[in-house]
Amino acid sequence: MSRVVWAAWRLGVAAVRGPAGRPLSQATTGGAEEGGAEGGGSGSGSREAVERLVRAHPVVVFMKGSPAQPLCGFSSAVVQILRLHGVEDYNAHDVLQDPDLRQGIKNYSNWPTIPQVYLNGEFVGGCDILLQMHQNGDLVEELKKLGIRSALLDAEKDQDKK
Amino acid sequence: SFSCPMPGPLLAAAGRGLSAMGGGCGPLASAIRSKLAAALQPTHLQVLDESWRHGGPPGAESHFSVVVVSERFAGLAPLQRHRLVHAALRAELAGPLHALAIVARTPQQWESDPHVPARPPCLGGSKHDQRRD
Repeated sequence: MSRVVWAAWRLGVAAVRGPAGRPLSQATTGGAEEGGAEGGGSGSGSREAVERLVRAHPVVVFMKGSPAQPLCGFSSAVVQILRLHGVEDYNAHDVLQDPDLRQGIKNYSNWPTIPQVYLNGEFVGGCDILLQMHQNGDLVEELKKLGIRSALLDAEKDQDKK
Repeated sequence: SFSCPMPGPLLAAAGRGLSAMGGGCGPLASAIRSKLAAALQPTHLQVLDESWRHGGPPGAESHFSVVVVSERFAGLAPLQRHRLVHAALRAELAGPLHALAIVARTPQQWESDPHVPARPPCLGGSKHDQRRD
């Protein structure tokens, strides 16, 4: 896997962090704060509620449907990519069940679509980006940082033994 | 780019036919194309209406995929590149544009890899929506 690609990705992550080292997605996005119909206040789509969800587990996915039964091709792709890496233990939230969360998660990450993948509380991207990370080896590295050994590494080892 | 000179019902029918082939001839496709062109000055730009893949009628203009090749992406991580595309299409994403698949590469990257990953199959997601995304 290209170290240049890895370095560029890390640079990109660093660039979207604010001065306190926290992702800028948590900064004010205008209109997404208290009250109103945009998931503010104390509802399931509030900043605080979403923050609790994204930090509750190293791998958190907001999707349509569930890992057992995804209801959208893009959400299904995310589940399948994670499964390829042997990641089956993660928190998945079905936004179709909770309209406040559905809007709240978009406000939180300032990202307009579902699915959304969070690693270690940090927004990583949607289906396209996860696929790219899978293809260029970045996902294996990111999982490693979370203490998760990708199943693909074991698959490679098995191949070497043949 | 190509123009759609036929008015009214003929345009709708033509739009359906072209959209059935995955092209983008409707007003949303045109808006997406012109906004991305203005924002990112792409050297290559492909805008496809993929609503037909998601159970919508041909020409539904709800799900799109875009391939944007632009020097503006140089030095930017994938997340930042996608955010640039989203920013250009903010109004559409707040409105009728329900889903957007993005390939964002620099001209150098596109030259060495001009292929687009296969789209995941639809699993009927839109039909499960009680309200729009």
